Amino acid sequence: MHIPDGILPAQVCAAGYAITGVATWYSLRQINRRPDPAAEVPKASLLTAAFFVASSIYIPVPPASVHLILNGLLGVVLGYFAFPAILIGLFFQALVIGHGGLTTLGVNATMMGVPALLAYHIFQSRSVLGKMLPEPTRTGLFAFLGGALGLGIAALIFLALIILNIPAELNATAEQAAVLTLSVGHIPLALVEGTFTAMLVLFLRRVKPELLEG
Amino acid sequence: MRLRLKFAWLLALALASGTAPALAHGVTVEHRRVNAVELEARFETGEPMANAQVLVYAPGNPTEVWQEGTTDDQGRFSFTPDTSQPGSWEVMVRQAGHGVLTTIPVADSTAGGEPTPTPATEVEAGSNSLISPSTTLSPVQRGITIGSVIWGFIGTALFFARGKR
Repeated sequence: MHIPDGILPAQVCAAGYAITGVATWYSLRQINRRPDPAAEVPKASLLTAAFFVASSIYIPVPPASVHLILNGLLGVVLGYFAFPAILIGLFFQALVIGHGGLTTLGVNATMMGVPALLAYHIFQSRSVLGKMLPEPTRTGLFAFLGGALGLGIAALIFLALIILNIPAELNATAEQAAVLTLSVGHIPLALVEGTFTAMLVLFLRRVKPELLEG
Repeated sequence: MRLRLKFAWLLALALASGTAPALAHGVTVEHRRVNAVELEARFETGEPMANAQVLVYAPGNPTEVWQEGTTDDQGRFSFTPDTSQPGSWEVMVRQAGHGVLTTIPVADSTAGGEPTPTPATEVEAGSNSLISPSTTLSPVQRGITIGSVIWGFIGTALFFARGKR
């Protein structure tokens, strides 16, 4: 789902960098307000490595083939650390694996990072919205929602960016059909990532519940 | 998904070596051999990029599309560049927000107005196997690079996890 170089016009790339700048500043400020900002760095660093590798894992969803993103998972587990983690992960993906590109780094970081922050807030709202539910179900359900919606919203942003920026010389109908097919392929992926997030969060809740406090 | 493009130069032979007319009920077919470029677009997974849109731009005119088409089921597309316009031809292959812009050098094969087969064209045919510089890493080099990046992340985690003194 990474947008490579040369697909989007320069204004969109610049706007992506602007939004990424603001979001990074805000996330770092939130992190800096904690009593010990460095305490969560090991967790964030390991999950950045997982994010970096995840985009090389392909899942065939006929007729397309999609790869794991894990942005919702990062949001749920890392909180405000997710945005810098995704930015760093995307930077290395662009350099090493060739996914995405340096001109579209801002756009890609916005596309995946902002839904990750939303996923964090969805997960945190579990104590308010899910009062009725018994405890393990509640955490699991909201982790699933965070993981699935984080990816789903990112896929919708991708769809919108591509459809609104089809160059005039391209056959717009064919490109729209192709990009819709690819986006539909992300629905099963959202379910997979949501399930994975729920499993990881329930596991962490059992073995090391303080990791989920952030 | 990153794309790899393979190029094969076809038929660098026998230009204007004569036309062969075939007449039947007023229909005329003439044939002559030309230099064509065949390209093959694949996703990083090795899967062919079927039915992708292809835009061809002539050198010196990057805003106007010279030819457009789509790749076949195998991700292949071929076109015949106008040899009177030598230089870097640009080809854009694009599908569902994934795409690549690549350049194909086309040598000037016009001599005195008539296209003739020249040895230079054939030399170039052999040397034009790889276009994209990012595909030049071998799998081992790629593995080492990816491993180093992952080790960087793990090292950072270990450094911050070492505890307070």
